[in-house]
Amino acid sequence: MKRQGTVPRRAFLGSLALAGGIGSARPLIGSSAKVIDAHDHLQHRSRHDWQEADRKLIDAADKLGIDQLCCSILPPQRPATPESFRECNQWMAEGMRRFPGRVHGYCFVNPGYGKEALEEIRRRVEQGGFIGVKLYNDYRASEPVVFPIVELAIQLRVPVLHHANHSIWLPAPQPRISDGGHLAELARRYPEAMLICAHISGGGDWEWTIKALRNAPSVFLDTSGSAVDDGVIEMAAAVLGPERLLFGCDLSLTASVGRMRGAELSEQDKTKILGANMQRILSRRSIQ
Amino acid sequence: MIDVSAHLGHFAFLRLRNNTASKLLALMDRKRIDKAVVASAAAITYRNAQAGNEDLAAEVRPHRDRLISFAVLNPVYAGWEDDLKICHEEFGIKGMRLYPRWHNYRLTDPRCLELIHAAAQRGLVVSIPIRVEDRRHGSWLADIPDVGYEEIAALMRAAPKAKFILANGSGFVGSPLGRKNNGLPPNYVIDISLLRSELDNEIGQLLANLGEDRVVLGTGMPFHYPDPAFVKLELLDVAEAVKEKIRHGNAARLLGI
Repeated sequence: MKRQGTVPRRAFLGSLALAGGIGSARPLIGSSAKVIDAHDHLQHRSRHDWQEADRKLIDAADKLGIDQLCCSILPPQRPATPESFRECNQWMAEGMRRFPGRVHGYCFVNPGYGKEALEEIRRRVEQGGFIGVKLYNDYRASEPVVFPIVELAIQLRVPVLHHANHSIWLPAPQPRISDGGHLAELARRYPEAMLICAHISGGGDWEWTIKALRNAPSVFLDTSGSAVDDGVIEMAAAVLGPERLLFGCDLSLTASVGRMRGAELSEQDKTKILGANMQRILSRRSIQ
Repeated sequence: MIDVSAHLGHFAFLRLRNNTASKLLALMDRKRIDKAVVASAAAITYRNAQAGNEDLAAEVRPHRDRLISFAVLNPVYAGWEDDLKICHEEFGIKGMRLYPRWHNYRLTDPRCLELIHAAAQRGLVVSIPIRVEDRRHGSWLADIPDVGYEEIAALMRAAPKAKFILANGSGFVGSPLGRKNNGLPPNYVIDISLLRSELDNEIGQLLANLGEDRVVLGTGMPFHYPDPAFVKLELLDVAEAVKEKIRHGNAARLLGI
């Protein structure tokens, strides 16, 4: 891919304070501040151009000033089988080696295959350096089949990033999708778990989701998604607190960086959301 | 910079910040936007859209140097001919916005074509927002689909002398509207508010397929943060002269300002 070369790294996130209108020309983040994308993906290899697509993702992250990306690979076929999630996680492990220090891996599993899922998580986290668990829409977050997965994540001290959406007009292919309410229910059962509710900017009615998570203080919320609705970050920070927000992109990098740039928050709060909160989660792992 | 896709007023299903003239202008100052095309957000759900146009006219009147009015017109509602005349001759609109899914008609309905021909005769630009909100966010009261690209393409063919802005959409490259040598008249531009310049880089593809005069800056404020549009432009790997056309030149030519 042609490298742009004309836009200095950090020009985008580095001008957050000025562009966000918070009254300071001083860059929001200094050179030592780390920006971590808590929710992204490398490509499934059924896509013919997966290598180029992964490279483009890293190139865009380079240009936008994103230091690290926490990624998973999901199979296109639902429900996921042990074969399909093991294959994805193997490709994820190879991705971590292709982009050392840039890409972290979430271990994706289908909780319905309890024994295989638990073995896969333990192996990938303890031996493969994976940083968390990714759950999609095979089961709702509040279903008992998910509980052993969360218990293992608690034991390993890794987060569980859970797909979520609250839409009245739900796409038919996702009958068991979770929403913020299901995540809050799971958090009440396991308050010590580090649960991440996925993509507030790609998960339907974001006001509903933020309110549903208000009284579930152990649930984090990632900011990723393609929607660029004004005010979402400010409302999430006001209701949940900036300590519970994690910057993410979910393959929508310019939208996600722009959203953070436009949010009218203090420099300190943006620094937490952009990387410090996720760094704190990563530092809790039992295996470093 | 000229933003072709802004709004004023209240929207039925979401509280908007920065939706008065003074607040929007303050935001434009912070973001260094010189001028913005605005239309009434309330008129999208009013039965009589003209009430929203009247409110907009009053709000914009002291700021016509920076806020460019578009009317929301509904060709299947009584009296649109009178509304068009008043909006143009008294309110000084430069164009109009159509919401065919919200107002329940097809763009190729003869009544819509009549409105578009009347607008073209007055030299007005016609803006078609593909969506207002992301469909995933929709209220339980209304499931409003996006405007279909085949339907828009049919309108482009049916009204080759009219000038169109296609706003707040994405996925044009996979449709006739975004393909190279698509056989459509070059009578439309596309705003970047929901396009991407990373990964699949739809903005770059549209520039290559349609030409550098056919893409314009739109932010969607105050529904949207304006900043994502700027980040997309900054990341876009094209000459600065092309970016300047997107930021200003193409819209200025289209609007005659």
